[in-house]
Amino acid sequence: MTDKDKKVKAGVKAKRKETARVFKRYDDLYNCSRCGSCTAYCPVYKNTKDEAVAPRGKLSLIEAISQGKMEFTDKLSEKIYTCTLCNYCNSECPSGVKITELFEEMRQDLIDSDKYPEALDFLKRRVGEAYNVTFDTNEGRADWTKQIPESSPEDYIKDTAEVVYFVGCVSSFSPRTFSIPRSVVQILKGAGVDFTLLGDDEWCCGFPLLSSGMKGETKKLADHNIEAVKKKGAKILITSCPSCYHTWKHEYPGISGKKIDFEIMHLSQYMLKLIEDKKLKLKALDMRVTYHDPCDLGRNSEVYAEPRKVIESIPGIEFIELEANKNLANCCGGGGNLESLDAGLSGRIARSRAMEIIDADVDVLVSACQQCERTLVSALKKLKKEAKRKIKVWDIAELILASINAE
Amino acid sequence: MKTKDMNNLKDIVGEENIILSEEERYCYSYDSTRLEYMPDVVVKARNTQQISDIFKYASTEKIPVTPRGAATGLSGGCLAMNGGIMLLMVEMDKILDVNPVDLLIDVEAGIITVDVDREANKHGLFYPPDPGSLKYSTIGGNIAENAGGLRGLKYGVTKDYVNALEAVLPNGEIVTLGTRTVKGVTGYNMIDLLTGSEGTLAVITKATLGLLPVPPAKASLLAFFKTMEDAAKAVRDIVSNGVITSTLEIIDQVTINAIEDYLGLGLERSIGAMLLIEVDGQQGAVDAEAEVVMKVCKSNNAVSCKQAGSDMERDEIWAARRAALSSLARVRPSTILEDATVPRSKIVEMVEAVNKIAKKYDLTIGTFGHAGDGNLHPTILTDMRDEKEEKKVESAVEEMFKVAMELGGTLSGEHGIGISKAKYLRMEIDPASYELMKRIKKAFDPDNILNPGKMFLD
Repeated sequence: MTDKDKKVKAGVKAKRKETARVFKRYDDLYNCSRCGSCTAYCPVYKNTKDEAVAPRGKLSLIEAISQGKMEFTDKLSEKIYTCTLCNYCNSECPSGVKITELFEEMRQDLIDSDKYPEALDFLKRRVGEAYNVTFDTNEGRADWTKQIPESSPEDYIKDTAEVVYFVGCVSSFSPRTFSIPRSVVQILKGAGVDFTLLGDDEWCCGFPLLSSGMKGETKKLADHNIEAVKKKGAKILITSCPSCYHTWKHEYPGISGKKIDFEIMHLSQYMLKLIEDKKLKLKALDMRVTYHDPCDLGRNSEVYAEPRKVIESIPGIEFIELEANKNLANCCGGGGNLESLDAGLSGRIARSRAMEIIDADVDVLVSACQQCERTLVSALKKLKKEAKRKIKVWDIAELILASINAE
Repeated sequence: MKTKDMNNLKDIVGEENIILSEEERYCYSYDSTRLEYMPDVVVKARNTQQISDIFKYASTEKIPVTPRGAATGLSGGCLAMNGGIMLLMVEMDKILDVNPVDLLIDVEAGIITVDVDREANKHGLFYPPDPGSLKYSTIGGNIAENAGGLRGLKYGVTKDYVNALEAVLPNGEIVTLGTRTVKGVTGYNMIDLLTGSEGTLAVITKATLGLLPVPPAKASLLAFFKTMEDAAKAVRDIVSNGVITSTLEIIDQVTINAIEDYLGLGLERSIGAMLLIEVDGQQGAVDAEAEVVMKVCKSNNAVSCKQAGSDMERDEIWAARRAALSSLARVRPSTILEDATVPRSKIVEMVEAVNKIAKKYDLTIGTFGHAGDGNLHPTILTDMRDEKEEKKVESAVEEMFKVAMELGGTLSGEHGIGISKAKYLRMEIDPASYELMKRIKKAFDPDNILNPGKMFLD
């Protein structure tokens, strides 16, 4: 390296060394042998061939920072945030480098040094002011219930209940995904489950902030949500969003001091329980079905069996595994806020996954995540010509409801 | 490099294929050796003509050019030692043609090796060379380094499958070498000269590679031995009993324990060594060969020897081998993977020597590798940030090389010389051969602009 390359860039609003998290992580960073095996798995690398966004490249940049060879720059920030946090690299790294953890710490350092993408300012402001990730006010959280026949939002919000259904921001506010929570409440109602929503007492779980590097902002949200569920006297909390599930299950205990004395279940797990307890009358669906593992449910929470068992318990279904499945499943492109930072790249990643789904030649693709559903619906729409048949994209709740309502 | 140079490069490949920022260039400064050299500019090549034009300019201006595939090499072959232009080949990754009758596939050099095999599989064929990095290294890099792999004993290495090449010479001339025929003796055998030339003679842009039909049957066997010596003797006897296995891998006790620490497969920690063996071919031949292997292992004091009864059992057997390097890599910060190679008849001596060297320098060395072709991977587990450790490792490596030489072996079976082993080259190559090699380099690259600093120190 020439002296010019080593020279610290002037005018960079850099964080003081001793407080940056990644400065303390040199040993972990040095564990990366730079073998490059992560480049075989990383969806952003495979779709850009840009070494600087490959896990190996990002780790080398973070290591350069930790060694004072490089500064916190906008370019560096752009590279670090080009990631879906799908965790594939982390689970396949031969040297066991804690890649995702290091990326998250780097993001925190970038936030602290004011070197983060502008789009995150909107996110931070919205969640801070309105407790959700959209333009809407939080009072509209249960508005999606309005179009369920013969009912009103009040029917779904009780003072106390055994089960709380935590809907999540996207399913609550994005009309394209309303059919997921609508399916969930209809199934729960039909099964006679004593359940409630939190309504406008449901705040963003904090996942978008956590994954962006704003861990400090999430305690307030965690404390509020835990308290809100407790108030309902619930024994079980279910989420249809895998990221909410991951955050509740794996992040809240470390973020909030409050005790969680209820069980946290993903929808797929709770649905399997209902099926095993014979609470659902499932009728035959004659179709070829495959399943896409959402990163936050699969690799990040290791829930692989339950969604598959649910699908296979529906009579008539021929279940086909995608070639890349479970811990080896490829990302849909929708994670890590990548969609809001680089929609084009997110779309290309979705396209790659959609091609694998087309190869499986199925009638229905089931996922268990509203974000995967959104990105894959768009990608499949653009690939209509390549598909041998029309492929429907359903959430696991929509599949179950279809089976219940089948003739 | 000057502004004028940058503008000329932009004219050739377009601005969108030029990488200049410090952050990005830094990501093209390393490979799997963990050495770092900053290129002045990274250029993404999209076709052969662009590469030719780059060289025409670079040779006039005497700017160093270093070709790079996926940078997974273990000898520093793709590092820009003298700065200059880093020529990125990954965008040239197309499959051009498959011919199932001629058993040939035509590809661009930047394609990932496993994708060649996948394409071949669609026609009931396969691409035999299987380096450990096959999922993420490029064919161009494999050819440049003459990469080996697990199947070397029966199926050979990369050079055995390169039929024809298109390449760009350092003066910008485009050459097509080799033939599409099984036989072909017209002119010098330039294919074997370029294969393994470590990107120092020409930049490979396209390759015509040989394929083979997928064998209809295979069997996997797993044998445990009290000592490395017994296992090594079994390796020798399997071959001398007329069985050429498709893979014949050895794993020593240090590595077995590392695998247990990592995966907990239930391997016996006190066992001295294990052999993983695969035979393939027609079903009848596979059965007969598996029986011979079983007998040979038993007559060499195998504690146990079993054949996988199902695909699942087969996968379990290979899980251990696949995890060998990862498991060792987790023990200490640095993993120095050596590949000094000896004739098959000498692996008992080589294994003994490695153990002695480990004791002498108080180093942890796990040994595993392709015992069937004498290509062991003594893997030193250390921390190269510690200067004392680094010195010890260097001495140990040098001693390993000396032993390999004494046993009639070679410095490197499959990783290459590059930067890492350049200072040892003369240990193996006699003065006249060394000068001949330098004259060959000069004939290709009189101004030493292509991948300078590799292979030769002077």
